[in-house]
Amino acid sequence: MTRVLTWLGLVVFLLLILVPFWWIASMSFKTYEQIQFAVSIYVPHPFTWENYTGLWTDTRFPLWLRNSLVTALVVTLITSVVASLGGYAVARLRFPGREAVASLILILYLIPPALLFIPLYRVLTELGATNGLSALFLSYPTFTVPFCTWLLIGFFKALPEELEEAALIDGAGRVTAFVRVLLPLAAPGLVASAIFAFTLSWNEFLYALVFITDETRITVPVGLNLLIYGDVFHWGQLMAASVITTIPVVALYIFIHRWMAEGLVAGSVKG
Amino acid sequence: MSQRHISRRAVLAGALGATAALSLPRIGFPAVKKGTALRMWILKTYVEPTNKAIEASAQRWAQKHGASVTVEYFTFEDMQTKYVAAIESNSTPDVGQLETGAPARFAGMGQLLDLTSFSKQIEGQVGKAPANISPVTIQDGKVYAIPWYVLGAFWYVWRDVFDKAKVKLPSTFAEAKEAAQALTRPKDNFYGMGQSWNRTADGYGVMQSLMYSYGVGWADKNGKYKSIKTPQMQTVMKWATDIYTNQMQPADTLTWTGSGNNENFIAKNIAQTSNGPSITFAMENAVAKATDAKDKKMKEEALANHVALPHLGGPDGRRMQAIAMSMGVFKGSKDPEAAMSLIAHLASPEETVMVMKDSYGQFAPALEKAKAASKDYFNKNENYRTFGRAAEWFAPTGWPGPVTAAAAEVQASNVLTDAPAKVIVDKWSVDQAIEWEDKKIKEIYDTLKG
Amino acid sequence: MSARSRRRIGARGREAGTALLFLLPLFVLVVGLIIYPFYRAIWLSLTDKLVGYPERFVGIRNYTYLAQDDAFQQVIWNSMVFTVASVALKVVTGLAMALVLNNVIRGRNFLRGLFLLPWITSTVIIALTWRWMFDAFPGRGFLNSFLLDVGLLSRPVAFMATPAGAMTAVVIANWWRAFPFFGVSFLAGMVSIPRELYEAASVDGASAGRRFWHITLPGLKHVIIVTTLLSFILTINDFNIIYVMTRGGPGTATQVFATYSYQVAFNQLRWGRGVTISIFVVPILVVGIVLISRYLLRDRR
Repeated sequence: MTRVLTWLGLVVFLLLILVPFWWIASMSFKTYEQIQFAVSIYVPHPFTWENYTGLWTDTRFPLWLRNSLVTALVVTLITSVVASLGGYAVARLRFPGREAVASLILILYLIPPALLFIPLYRVLTELGATNGLSALFLSYPTFTVPFCTWLLIGFFKALPEELEEAALIDGAGRVTAFVRVLLPLAAPGLVASAIFAFTLSWNEFLYALVFITDETRITVPVGLNLLIYGDVFHWGQLMAASVITTIPVVALYIFIHRWMAEGLVAGSVKG
Repeated sequence: MSQRHISRRAVLAGALGATAALSLPRIGFPAVKKGTALRMWILKTYVEPTNKAIEASAQRWAQKHGASVTVEYFTFEDMQTKYVAAIESNSTPDVGQLETGAPARFAGMGQLLDLTSFSKQIEGQVGKAPANISPVTIQDGKVYAIPWYVLGAFWYVWRDVFDKAKVKLPSTFAEAKEAAQALTRPKDNFYGMGQSWNRTADGYGVMQSLMYSYGVGWADKNGKYKSIKTPQMQTVMKWATDIYTNQMQPADTLTWTGSGNNENFIAKNIAQTSNGPSITFAMENAVAKATDAKDKKMKEEALANHVALPHLGGPDGRRMQAIAMSMGVFKGSKDPEAAMSLIAHLASPEETVMVMKDSYGQFAPALEKAKAASKDYFNKNENYRTFGRAAEWFAPTGWPGPVTAAAAEVQASNVLTDAPAKVIVDKWSVDQAIEWEDKKIKEIYDTLKG
Repeated sequence: MSARSRRRIGARGREAGTALLFLLPLFVLVVGLIIYPFYRAIWLSLTDKLVGYPERFVGIRNYTYLAQDDAFQQVIWNSMVFTVASVALKVVTGLAMALVLNNVIRGRNFLRGLFLLPWITSTVIIALTWRWMFDAFPGRGFLNSFLLDVGLLSRPVAFMATPAGAMTAVVIANWWRAFPFFGVSFLAGMVSIPRELYEAASVDGASAGRRFWHITLPGLKHVIIVTTLLSFILTINDFNIIYVMTRGGPGTATQVFATYSYQVAFNQLRWGRGVTISIFVVPILVVGIVLISRYLLRDRR
C-alpha cells in the first residue's frame, strides 16, 4: 500500500514540478501565430528557433544577460569574502556578544527589501551609485551576506576543530589557521554559499527595478518585466528568454545540489 | 492659463526680441560649441521605426554641429518613474521629451528652464501649436516646453463586422455601446467591445476621454479641485460599468495588460477598441511578413477591413485624452544653448517630415508649419487622415483646467480606473464609487503643493 | 570544544581584537547599508516627502492617514490571506513531499535535486510562467487549453479576472515556488528521527497514520516551526510575484504591502507615505524574529 502511495505521490509531484517548465519551453519553440491561434498546443510543430535568434538580434537581451552575469559574479565574490570572514568569527572565535551577533545576522536577513528600497535609493543616490550596476554591487550584499554568513556559521561549526587547534599550538595566527586550515576543509560549504549568493543575485528583481532605469543597464528580470507589459507581444521571445535565463542556474545547481540541500539543512535545522 | 493676459505690447516686444535674435549670424538658433555632448531622453513607442527615426534626426543635428547626442529611452510604463529617479539623483538629461503632465510637474519642482523667449523664436520658424495644446507647456504664464506632436488614440472597428450586421459605425460612446450589444456573439467567442479599465493609457486615457466628452472634469478652468458628484458623472460611470454586463466584452477584459486589447482586436475577438496607431502598424507589418500568397491576401483583407475612427464623442463634444509630447530643457544642463538648438532642429518642418515618414501615423505634429508639411503623408488613406487630425480633439489631463501636478497625480494614482473596477469587481454601487473617487481626488489636491 | 583546547587557545576576551578584524567588513556593510537606511526609513515616514521637493516633518500624519485609508485596510487583509494561505499549503505539501521522498531509496538525491528546481528559478520567471498557466487565451494558458481539450470546459475561463481567482493564482505561484524548500527541510528532519522509535511502534502494532502523528510530527516540530516562521516573514514582504502577475489587480484585489508601497512611492511620488506602508510590517517582523530566535537558541543547548 505504501508503495502505491509513494509512486502516486512521486508522479503527482513530478508532474506538478515539471509541467510548468515544459509549458514555457514548448512555447518558446512556437511562432507567434502558433501561440495566438492555439495551434499544436502540446508539442510545437513545426519547431522553430526564431524566438531564440530574434531575442539575440532584435532585443537588448544579450546586454541584460551580461549585466546579470557581471552583477552576480561581483556580488558572489564580495559575499564570499565578507561572509566567510564573519562566519569564522562567530563560529570559532571567542568574544563577548558572540551569541548576539549570530542572532543579529539572522535578523538582518529578515529585514525586507520592500522596506529598505526607498531609503536605500536615497543613500545610493548620495553615493552617486544609481543607474548603474554599482548600485547592485552595493545593495545585493545586504541580503546575500546575512544569509550566507548564517549558512557558513552552521557549516564551520560542524567541522572538527582539531586541525586548527594543532596549527594554533604550532604558533600560527588565527588568520593563517583560517586561510590555510579551515578554508580548504570548508570547500563544499563555501561552494554552496557562493552558489546561493549567485542565485540570489541572478534572480533579484525589486532593487534592480528601482535603482536602475537605463534600459541598457538593467538586468534580465527587469528586462523580462519590461517586455511583457508593453503594447507589443513577443510571447515566444519572452518564453525563450525565460528558458535561457534559467539554464545557468540549473547548470550550476546540478553540480552542487547535494551540498545545497545539505547547506539549507545545516542552516535551518542545526542553527 | 494666462495666455489671455499677454497684451499687445508684450507681443510686439516679443516680436522685436525675436527679430533681434533672428538677425544674429546663426539665423535665430542658439549657438553650439563644437564637441558639445548632450543627453536626450525620448519615448520608446511601440513602433520601433519611429524611435530609430527620432534618434537619426538627433544624430543629424549632432553631425551638423560637430557635437554628440546620447539618446536614452523611457517607456510608457516608466515615463514618470524614470524622470523622477533622475530628478532625485540629479542626473536629468539635457533635453527631455515630456509627456502631457510632465511640464507642469517638473516646472513646479523648478527643474525646467524657462523657454518663453526661445518659444517665440520657434513660433517664428515653425508656427504655433493649436490653442488646446499650448497650455500643456505653460505654467504661471511662462513657457517651459516646446510642443512637438500628439500621440492620439482612435476608435478601432472591424468594418466588415458592422456592415454584415447592418450596424452604423459609431461616432459617440452611446452609439458604441449599442453597437457592442448588437454585435456581441459570446457563443462564437466574438465580443462587441474590448475596453479595459487597466492602469495603462488604454484604460485611464479612455476614461478621461469619456469624462471630458460628457463635460465632466475633476478640476475647474483654473485647475482647482471640482467635485465630480454630478449627474453627468453618473452617466459616465454607468457607461463604464454597463459595458461589462450582458457579455459585451470578453470575460478577462479587466485584467488585460497594455497589449491585451491589441491582441484581441487583431485576432478578431472583439469588434471595437480604443488604441493608438500601433494596431495599424502591427497589421501593416503582418502583411509585409506574410508567408505565402494566401496568407498575404488574408492579411491585406484584414488591413482593409480595419478602420480607425475618430475617438468617440459625447454630448459635450469630442474630446480625446492623449499624450501631447513636448521638449524641454532641464536646469541641470551644462549647455542650454546647445540643448535649445537641438530642440529647434527636431521641431523644424523638414526634420518633422522625415521622422513622420517612419511613424506609421503615430506622430501628429502640433506646430503649424510642421503640420502643413505633413499633410501629404497623412493623405495615404482614410485611417491616416484620421491619425493626422489627432491634435484637433486633444484634451489634456485635468481638462478643462491646465495640466497641474495634482491633475497628473490623479492620473498616476489609478483612481480613475479603480473606481469602475470597484463597481464591476467588488459590486459597489455607482454612487459609492463616485463618492469614493471624489474623496480620493479631493485629498490629492488638498495635500499637494500646487 | 573541549576544556583542554579552550585553555590552550586563550581566554575569552583576548580574541576580541581578531574577531573585530574578521567582522569588520560585515559590520561596515550592515551598518552602512542596512541599519542606516532603516533609520532613515523611520525618519522618512515622519515627513511628507514628495519627490522633487524638500521634505517637511509632519509627525505621525502618514500613520494616521493609512490607518483610516480603505485601500490600506484592503492591503492588510490581502497580505494576510496571501501569506497564511500559501504558508499553510507549503507546510502540507512539504510534509507530503518529505514523506514520499523518505520512502524512496534509490535516486533520492536526484529526485530531491529535481524537486528543488522551482526554488532556484527566478521569481519573475515563475510569476510569468504562472501568469501564462492561468491565461485566458488558450494558446498561452495551459489550464484553459488542457481543460478545453479534456472537455471539462466549453469556453475559456478568465481565472485571474476575479478577486478570488487572482488571489488564488498568486498564492499558487508563491506556493509552487517554495514548497520544495519545505519538503527538503522536512526530509532532512525526518532522516534524523531515530529508526528505533518507528520499529518499536510497529512492533506495538501502530498503524502508519499513528506512527506519523505520534513520532514523525513531534520529531519535526522544531523544523516545521522554524521553516514556517521564516516563510511567513518572507512571504508577507513578497513583491516580485504579485507585481509581475497582477500588479496588485484587478482593482486592489491582490495589492499587498510591498506592491502598495511601491505604487505610492514610485507612481504617486509620495515617499513619506510609501515608506510608512512598509513600516507597518515591522511589528509582525519583530514578533516573528523573536519567536524564531527563541527556537533556534533552544536548539543550541
